[in-house]
Amino acid sequence: MSEEAAISKVWESIPVGDDLGSLDYVLTAQMVADYRRVVDNPHAAYPTVAARHPANLFYRKYAAVMRVPNMGHDSEYFNPPVADKRITITGRIADKYIRRGNTYLIVEATAVDEDGRLIERSRLVGLAREVGKEAAHANIARKWGT
Amino acid sequence: MMAAQLNVGDRLQPVTHEVTDDKMVEFEKVVWDRGRNSHSDINVAKADGIQRTIASGQNQMAFLHEMMERNFGDAWVYGGKISARYIHPVYAGDHLTANGLVTEVSVVDGKPRVTLQIWCENQDGRKTSAGTASAGQPSDARSWITAAS
Repeated sequence: MSEEAAISKVWESIPVGDDLGSLDYVLTAQMVADYRRVVDNPHAAYPTVAARHPANLFYRKYAAVMRVPNMGHDSEYFNPPVADKRITITGRIADKYIRRGNTYLIVEATAVDEDGRLIERSRLVGLAREVGKEAAHANIARKWGT
Repeated sequence: MMAAQLNVGDRLQPVTHEVTDDKMVEFEKVVWDRGRNSHSDINVAKADGIQRTIASGQNQMAFLHEMMERNFGDAWVYGGKISARYIHPVYAGDHLTANGLVTEVSVVDGKPRVTLQIWCENQDGRKTSAGTASAGQPSDARSWITAAS
């Protein structure tokens, strides 16, 4: 099958710059404590690592049609979140490309707290998989032999 | 006392953790519960095309973060950058070590900036993730800990 023929129509239809809207949540002291316990790091500064802001925003809009298994992450950290503050995340499709026959979506999310402090900006490198066409991790299984 | 400044070729103090089934499952629930997925449920993993659950990439990212926090303090927490790619699966029972090697020391916007190769490797010495990170020169300050207490 040619590379061109294998490209998902859904992937083609998602525009770079697509607005993924916003979400907000309160990062409670319990959430912070739970994160620090599970990663064995009592002083972990960014529990938001486990919050997966880009993926959460992406799936709110596209869960029915597209999966984006996480192949990488690019993040920039500005101010660690403060427990019990409300965090608002906004997202967009920052880029898309084809590499070695695979389609990728770059999903960006920016987190700001209720006092206007910029927390972090993260980009998910997602291996785009159209729901119902191919198992989300099929490529990973082939590549890694899992 | 001022933290030791880093030079090209310096290695960071590594961080090692065991990945367990229980922690893989719990990692998917803390902060934002994503429900059952291929990181926490064998049936979902098989439906997704893999035979075993694998730790999420963000699980590795947590270990890389800890290494950067320990080695750089505030210089990482306020203004750090990281770019990592997940290149080999991580399973329950693996012992992962986060590593860093200084590749460049420069001045950016009038401030020192340390750039590193970063990676996680398993107990067999196989890299499971790799990329780059940068931060200011290490600081003794841990102000996010003080602020939280």
